[in-house]
Amino acid sequence: MSTALIGIDIAFALCAVVALLSVVRIVRGPDRGSRLVGAELLTVTVIGLIALGGVRSGNTSTFDLVLVVTMAAFLAAVSLARALVGGAR
Amino acid sequence: MTGFLTVLGQVLAVAGAGVLLLAAIGLLRFADFYMRASAVATATGVGISLIIIGSVLVAPGVADAVKAAVAVVLQLVTSAAGGIMLARCALLSGHRFSPDTDSAALRSVTGPRGPAQGDDG
Repeated sequence: MSTALIGIDIAFALCAVVALLSVVRIVRGPDRGSRLVGAELLTVTVIGLIALGGVRSGNTSTFDLVLVVTMAAFLAAVSLARALVGGAR
Repeated sequence: MTGFLTVLGQVLAVAGAGVLLLAAIGLLRFADFYMRASAVATATGVGISLIIIGSVLVAPGVADAVKAAVAVVLQLVTSAAGGIMLARCALLSGHRFSPDTDSAALRSVTGPRGPAQGDDG
């Protein structure tokens, strides 16, 4: 693309830093719930990276992926929360 | 006009990434699970919505705008619901509160001595 997309690049870099920080929280714990919250932030950050990467490469078919991953992220959060209490309600 | 939309979209995308960065800093710095969950659950909905709207404004198109609108609505609804469910399950599975948190209003759920069998592993 000919127009300047420096803002998209900055947002992409910030999202990469956020992904790194959430991985740090997943590794350090200290309890399972904190690891779950880190995983939730990681999936949301990956959604942002998909959208920004699609715009940056000029190929906006990645918005399909954004929609699907958004739904998959919610299902993952719900099932991981269920796993936290061992399947009980 | 297109140039204006491009600039506005990039400003929104950077703002959304900044909100996500604040959530990540809260995730690293806060003391117990419940504070971390509040930081992440409130910030992810706004942050990812701003990023998606900014992306659509930079590369406009009717089909992409519809997909992005559905994704934003889904994200705003599910981040709140998922955050509530995550915190409730953590409370039921015995995650401890930080000592300076006043959890007296939750005694009917957790029993007189707070969450019982703390899960620190």
